Amino acid sequence: VSNDLRLERVYDAAPEIVFDAFTDSEAQKELYADAPDWVVESACDLRVGGRWTISFGPPNGPPARETSVFTVVDRPRRLGYVATMTMPDGTGFDTDLEVTFEEESPGRTRLTIVQRGFPTTGLRDEIAGGWPSILEGLGRVVAARAAGPHRP
Amino acid sequence: MVRYSASTLDRTFAALSDPTRREILDRLAQGPATLGELRRPFDMTLPGLMKHVRVLEAAQLVVTEKKGRTRECRLGADPLDDAAQWIETSRRRWERRLDRLESYLERRKGAST
Repeated sequence: VSNDLRLERVYDAAPEIVFDAFTDSEAQKELYADAPDWVVESACDLRVGGRWTISFGPPNGPPARETSVFTVVDRPRRLGYVATMTMPDGTGFDTDLEVTFEEESPGRTRLTIVQRGFPTTGLRDEIAGGWPSILEGLGRVVAARAAGPHRP
Repeated sequence: MVRYSASTLDRTFAALSDPTRREILDRLAQGPATLGELRRPFDMTLPGLMKHVRVLEAAQLVVTEKKGRTRECRLGADPLDDAAQWIETSRRRWERRLDRLESYLERRKGAST
């Protein structure tokens, strides 16, 4: 009925760890790289009105770029931003993202991503296809950080 | 002489044993498709589709590549060649057996008349 996208994952880590892994530049390579040689650059000004730019892609090709502006920054519970994502054909579109980090039990966090405002269901499905590997990457970062001392 | 490995064949035939996965391969035979495009003809959730794609990927029947925010799938044909070669070798073996059976029966027929 709507062009919204909703994703949920539960991670065995505290909300702070999941929240930081979702946004900090150090973790982004694990989330966005499809191969070890991929170049991932992230600059995140984590405050309301701040900008988050990320580019990622193989070393020999033009990277995908996206730019977001934060509308809600409530560490470690909630994050809101408007993202401009670019498709492989170069066209871009804006969506609203609401990300919540809910502590289900101590050391266990439910991540919910709601992405609204896709121009078409086709675009929503395309982006839905890209999220799983990002959330798996987040799982790897979070597992490593939950197991060891966390250095934000 | 036998180029293919048993474990590769196991994975290939296990991956091919599901009608949805065969349909995915049929679709990809027409050209690469993103996960979003692949999902369209199937009444399936994305995690459901991903599960099938992963099985095909593990069997190297499908290769996936991230392109920006999307993921593109295409055929990885080598394991299918191995499966085809295995079927062809088996077919020839059975043909030889049937030929031998036929000539044996011919000889019996000749001996009894």
